[in-house]
Amino acid sequence: MLSQYMINQLVNGLCQGFIYALIALGFAVIVGIVGLATFTHGEIIMIGAYASYYIFSACGNNLFLGLFASFCASWLVGILVYKLCYEQFLNVPEHISLICTIGFSMLLKNLAQIFFGTEKKPMLDIIDNRIYSLGPVEISKVQIVIMVTVLALSALMMMIFNWTKWGVALRSVSQNREAAALVGINVKQTIMVGNCIGCAMAGVAGMLIGIYYQAIYPTMGATLSMKAFAAATLGGLTSVPLSALGGGILGLIENLGISISSASFRDVFSFGFLIIILIFKPTGFVKRKGVRP
Amino acid sequence: MLTVENLVVNYGYINALRGISFEVRQGEIITLIGANGAGKTTTLMSISNLIKKESGSITFKDQDITKTPSHKIVKMGMCHVPEGRKIFPELTVYENMIAGTFGNKALSKDRINGLLEEQFQLFPRLKERRNQAGGTLSGGEQQMLAISRGLMMDPDIMMLDEPSLGLAPIVVEEIFELILKIRGNGKTILLIEQNASMALSIADRGYVLENGLVTLAGSGQELLRNENVKKAYLGA
Repeated sequence: MLSQYMINQLVNGLCQGFIYALIALGFAVIVGIVGLATFTHGEIIMIGAYASYYIFSACGNNLFLGLFASFCASWLVGILVYKLCYEQFLNVPEHISLICTIGFSMLLKNLAQIFFGTEKKPMLDIIDNRIYSLGPVEISKVQIVIMVTVLALSALMMMIFNWTKWGVALRSVSQNREAAALVGINVKQTIMVGNCIGCAMAGVAGMLIGIYYQAIYPTMGATLSMKAFAAATLGGLTSVPLSALGGGILGLIENLGISISSASFRDVFSFGFLIIILIFKPTGFVKRKGVRP
Repeated sequence: MLTVENLVVNYGYINALRGISFEVRQGEIITLIGANGAGKTTTLMSISNLIKKESGSITFKDQDITKTPSHKIVKMGMCHVPEGRKIFPELTVYENMIAGTFGNKALSKDRINGLLEEQFQLFPRLKERRNQAGGTLSGGEQQMLAISRGLMMDPDIMMLDEPSLGLAPIVVEEIFELILKIRGNGKTILLIEQNASMALSIADRGYVLENGLVTLAGSGQELLRNENVKKAYLGA
């Protein structure tokens, strides 16, 4: 029989996993469509969190406004990232833009410290902290909101990717840029949109993290971006659903791990798990399908 | 309809094209033949502006497209079916064909459905496999998918780069019959082929490329009878 504590930790882990899933999903979209890894993902998360923070303090605790603000802010930063780090470097070796994103992430982090201040900002009581219990399971309203938001956003994204013309264009570009240009797709613009979608997911995740932990600070993105990378690696870097699964599992592992040890071992568990997976199954969860050349 | 003048393309220090000129008129089948490395694919790639040109000019429908971005050239009604097919392997056959319509913003929904029907009549096998991933098709089917993806944008001119490459002889014949059918529907065709005899037999006019230069031009029949062409490309 699971103890009450373990059940609570499972719920917490699941919720954490949902947030990681959203971050990883954005990461996978970016890697898939831009074809290049990004290291600004953590800073985009931070930007999204701050955008919602300022909206909450200006306009009151309206969740939808906050979501909208973090979405738009991170979309705009996504355009900036694309223009600075990717556009000129699409046809040159990957490490150039990789290092470019590292530099840009440092810039963003430090600008944030200048303009937003270095201290933690509290993000209190955006959602009243009621707790519902379903039998032995206790779940707070915050957690429900987070899970619903993540599910809704990922469903929306899956629909856009699978059922719309835009989705077909985005996937075409991720599979073969030259052919995409030859069917009349504006490749550069499509890559930018793909990058922005990924960033927007991260931005919303930033808001959710702010609400969940009730505090935001300029360097909050650092470990989160590593977690996103880990989760996406579990999903084979470009598979969106598997990366989301990777994020979910990472969150669960972390919380189960700290429930049997101490909270300071949080990162040890998630990255340890990643290492173990990569030793025994280097492609992550992805099973490469046989594709004709 | 399409005029290429003094086109020069360099890959680093290598002169791929050393100033070629040719023209394609409305409703013609034109073929460029030549050995490996003669510059055939390079010619098409530079018409579509996928690679940098050193000098020269390209005119399409009386407009200079020398510096126009690839996707805009496509939208002017030029379809380029690249070498090696380059279909989208993880998109379904149907999605591949829908992707083909992006090049023509003027297509209405009805027209797209009509075009789909036409394609499925032309290629019954694609209809059977419409929900299969493009990458799972056989080579010949992929080539047909690539051509039908091109036709989905209802282009004015089609540039086909080695459509018979790596296909079984019987499939090659099917592809050539298909090219004639497409021309019958009022499209202009610029065909690049290593299979010179087949290409010349259906072409109105042909150009022979050697080391980045046009060394010979004439009607398809003339070239078929030309002694040099026979020796070099027809294996006679």
